[in-house]
Amino acid sequence: MEFKLRPARDHGLETADRLRSLSRERGLGSIVLGSLWRAMLRGYLAVYHRLEVTGRENLPEAPFVLIANHTSHLDALTLSGVLRGEPARRAHALAAGDTFFGSTLSSVFAAYAVNALPVWRKRTKAGELATLRQRLVEDRLVYILFPEGTRARDGAMAPFQPGIGVLVAGTDVPVVPCFLDGCHAAWPPDRSVPAPRKLRVRIGAPLTFADAPATRAGWEDTARQCEAAVRALAP
Amino acid sequence: MMREAVFAHPVTVGIVAATVAVVLAAFAVIGVMTLTGRGTPELRRELWLRTLSWCLLLPLMMGPVLLGREWVIAAATLLGLACLREFDRATGLFRETLVAGIVVVGILAANFAALDHWYAFFVALWPLTVGVIVIGTIPLDRPAGYVQRTALGILAYMLFGAGLAHLSFMANEPGYRPILLMLLTTVALSDVAAFTFGKLIGGPKLLPATSPNKSIAGAVGALCVTTLLVATLSFFIFRGTPMAQPHWLLVFGVIVGIGAQAGDLMLSSIKRDIGIKDMGTILPGHGGVLDRFNSLLLVAPAAFHFIQFFVGFGMGQPARLITGG
Repeated sequence: MEFKLRPARDHGLETADRLRSLSRERGLGSIVLGSLWRAMLRGYLAVYHRLEVTGRENLPEAPFVLIANHTSHLDALTLSGVLRGEPARRAHALAAGDTFFGSTLSSVFAAYAVNALPVWRKRTKAGELATLRQRLVEDRLVYILFPEGTRARDGAMAPFQPGIGVLVAGTDVPVVPCFLDGCHAAWPPDRSVPAPRKLRVRIGAPLTFADAPATRAGWEDTARQCEAAVRALAP
Repeated sequence: MMREAVFAHPVTVGIVAATVAVVLAAFAVIGVMTLTGRGTPELRRELWLRTLSWCLLLPLMMGPVLLGREWVIAAATLLGLACLREFDRATGLFRETLVAGIVVVGILAANFAALDHWYAFFVALWPLTVGVIVIGTIPLDRPAGYVQRTALGILAYMLFGAGLAHLSFMANEPGYRPILLMLLTTVALSDVAAFTFGKLIGGPKLLPATSPNKSIAGAVGALCVTTLLVATLSFFIFRGTPMAQPHWLLVFGVIVGIGAQAGDLMLSSIKRDIGIKDMGTILPGHGGVLDRFNSLLLVAPAAFHFIQFFVGFGMGQPARLITGG
């Protein structure tokens, strides 16, 4: 019998700190709100963007990391709309802290609806990546992550950063490459609202990096393989 | 359902007036301490924080009682849900979404039974909810952790649903105001008395491994104060009923006094077992909602059934207001 009491990882944090914490764990309220949000999101993607998904059979059981090219704010929404059931409830989008967690109000939305975790660009500490990696494995989470690090303003895919390697190198956690087609045309950085353009998601076969060494070279090699897998899915 | 005027009973007037007087006196004392520079700045800051917290808490506690029956039930429901949330996150039960969800439904159902004034359903809900918790996760086919999640779910429902909803059911008695105000204030006073007697007399610790700050002197002093206060107020509240005999009033006082301290020690045991200091952070100077209301958890059902034995709640009032029948 496994009888082990363990408080929430974010126990004892003040509300505002908790929303921005990488240790934030979902409770019943967050799951209910998140499910309502996803139902609305799926309806919007199906009706407004006529979302077409291929390769859904490649999605494994949690934990895994979903990666894709990044050209638009629609990207994370589209990928989270693709997931169903248990993986959907366990999914966290790794989102830019300065964009989505700037104010308490935006943090509430990012935390409760999108279930995002903040990543602070250019000042991510090694400890934060270690926390994300630990939670990915121990809490069997699903991360939605864009290894380019930022939206490609012109729509052309940029090289992947080695952060994806830090998260998965040396673990059995699969990385699922996806290619998002149409997001840039529907909602480029210079448009204030999305246009009703068609979106396509192609989901590729999962990759694992159990033997990749936990070194800079290992992480960069992991990132290169991930990038190649995403590029291979491009039309 | 019959309704009484808010300040129909002199005990209601007395408790509200005394509470306002105590808060004003507390401000006066801390004000004088600040002006004369008595006590350390940390102590003064702590006292300010606690008193200001009470200024928020007291209207939230006493306001619904004064406003009316439905307000009491709404407040007890929210209190139960807030306590459950903290308990879930401290024990890890929140990871068992299904059990946590069943307990939420159980808390809502128990308070609905009180709102409906349907005592048979109110009583039936404890075995029914326990049954649903016990059966609920079997179809998941995940026996690992079954005993833990089921036991935690039942404990949570018993404390925050079945237990706290007794406060809601009390509101079906037209003269509920003095009873509820007496319980809310004497239970809070029990904490203050234990702290004061402990500081003044000191001496050996009560249960050092469970709660290192509590002394035997504090516990005995608080029990004496609470017993006498409850017995005296009950003398005025239950005058003319079979309960209004000195020995029964004293027994009632002892039940409230022991229940209040036992609730406190129960929460201390839970926190020590888990290895945390406070259950939450929502009330500055107090910790979480549970850290403040722990003393009420056991008092609510114990006081209810003692009074029910002699007097009853909502006797002669229309029942099943919503469901009919």
